[in-house]
Amino acid sequence: MVREGKQVDIVGLTKMFGGLKAVDDLTFSVRPGLVTGFLGPNGSGKTTTLRCLLGLLRPTSGTATIGGLVYRDLPDPIGTVGASLEAASFHPGRSARAHLEMMAIGAGLDPARASQMLAQVGLSEVAGKRVGGFSLGMRQRLALAAGLLGDPEVLILDEPANGLDPAGIAWLRQFLRALAAEGRTVLVSSHVLSEVQQTVDEVVVLSRGRLVRQGTLADLESGPREVLVRTPTPERLRDVLTMGRLTVVGTDDSGRLRVTGGSTEAVGHAAFEAGVELHELVPEASQLERVFLELTNGGRE
Amino acid sequence: MTALVRAEFKKIVSTRLWWALLIGALAFSALQSLVTALFSGVDAGAGQPSMPGLETAEAIRSVYPMAMFSGTYMFALVLGITGMTGEYRYQTITSTFLVSPRRHRVVVAKILAHVVMGALYAVLGLLTVLVVGGVTMTARGYGLGLGADRLWPTMALSVAAVAIWAVLGIGIGTLIRNQIAAIVLAILFTFLVEPLLTFALASADLDWLVKWLPTNASSALMAPGDVLLDYLQWWTGGLVLLAYGLALAAAGVVLSVRRDVS
Repeated sequence: MVREGKQVDIVGLTKMFGGLKAVDDLTFSVRPGLVTGFLGPNGSGKTTTLRCLLGLLRPTSGTATIGGLVYRDLPDPIGTVGASLEAASFHPGRSARAHLEMMAIGAGLDPARASQMLAQVGLSEVAGKRVGGFSLGMRQRLALAAGLLGDPEVLILDEPANGLDPAGIAWLRQFLRALAAEGRTVLVSSHVLSEVQQTVDEVVVLSRGRLVRQGTLADLESGPREVLVRTPTPERLRDVLTMGRLTVVGTDDSGRLRVTGGSTEAVGHAAFEAGVELHELVPEASQLERVFLELTNGGRE
Repeated sequence: MTALVRAEFKKIVSTRLWWALLIGALAFSALQSLVTALFSGVDAGAGQPSMPGLETAEAIRSVYPMAMFSGTYMFALVLGITGMTGEYRYQTITSTFLVSPRRHRVVVAKILAHVVMGALYAVLGLLTVLVVGGVTMTARGYGLGLGADRLWPTMALSVAAVAIWAVLGIGIGTLIRNQIAAIVLAILFTFLVEPLLTFALASADLDWLVKWLPTNASSALMAPGDVLLDYLQWWTGGLVLLAYGLALAAAGVVLSVRRDVS
């Protein structure tokens, strides 16, 4: 079933804590039917933004709306937005099922939804166990079950991959893709790009409370790719390449020169003409992680 | 609102605290009733006035509703305080406010649920003192005394009093988010500040103020028709006590509940 979906709009959002600007005039939208990655290093304002959206924090200025309404004004909050927050906390003495039941009852849902959601996230066997004994991964699954309780159109997940093992992350990836394919709006935050790289369609990159990039992963990746080249005589190669209008922008961790301005063919040809010995010549595998780090570090300095 | 109240009941009964507090309340009620039934009318010795004997209605009311109240009200108060502050302590307040983003409704639902829980504690407490007190009085050769003057109205009002103390707990917990601070302050106020205040007011010729203090308002509620002490009318006492609880909760909604949850 494909749903209508609801768009999330963050417009000019600013949140101050005392004198500290945690979120600074942030504007972006999250579209239905896609998984949107909300990326940025720890402390960049992701959680603050999500908590403003969910009505838990009061924005200093600006708005955060779901389908045009602030969370507080939603007629059916749990049925519209499902949230699984990083700090999602449970009473250690309450069972997983009881936690979901108390939410379901309060939202006017059938308490039987609790057991169904636990089955969906693979926690059926520990449904009656007290949450105090749960691992971080199990708590993440429980938080996700809480988010799904009302079969919401919008799903907001704060660092859902934290504490999940590789199998759990693979499972989460499929799960989120399936939810987006049903027409839901999925916003998932992470401070590790590689965690969500294969899951997200679009990214919103945040640094120090400011938006630094919004677009598709391909947009983020576009731009000239670097060529990595290893040689026993780097000084000589640097001179040769510079004469051939190629630029050596630096050296990578393993001592390879990072070259921009041309393809592997151009670099190889220039080296061959000058008789410079090469041991390795490869295009950069993916710029994504580097672009992400540059975008987010750029704001930190 | 019905859904939110039902959710509050689910919250209360899905952890073990309410059991622990109930057992404490029943144990204290039983002990109070036992001691009162054993020593009422017994000559306390040199110069000490003895408690009225078990042939008096006053003594029988002490063995039943008064014993239940003094054993139970503090536990109902603590249940109320933890009903609110526990949400902040374990951060379940996030889930609660996601379900009900209009936060004052949560406080109203908690008040309604805890009134019922307080009344439940009180009724179970009364059953306990009826057994413990009744057996003890029978063993001492007195009857059960169930026909004593004003016994049943006092029993009914003692249930109301305990229920209102649970509301006071919600009020305190709504205003003071920190669980330990809220409990310590509530107990300090009841057992230290209020008696000192009573003394200070009396010394300053402000005796007329004393009867408006929460504990005295509570005593007034359970002593219909008593004219020995300068209490409020029983119904005024009940309303004053309830007003304290609701005023604290209202202040909490304005000052504390609206604050950021992070």
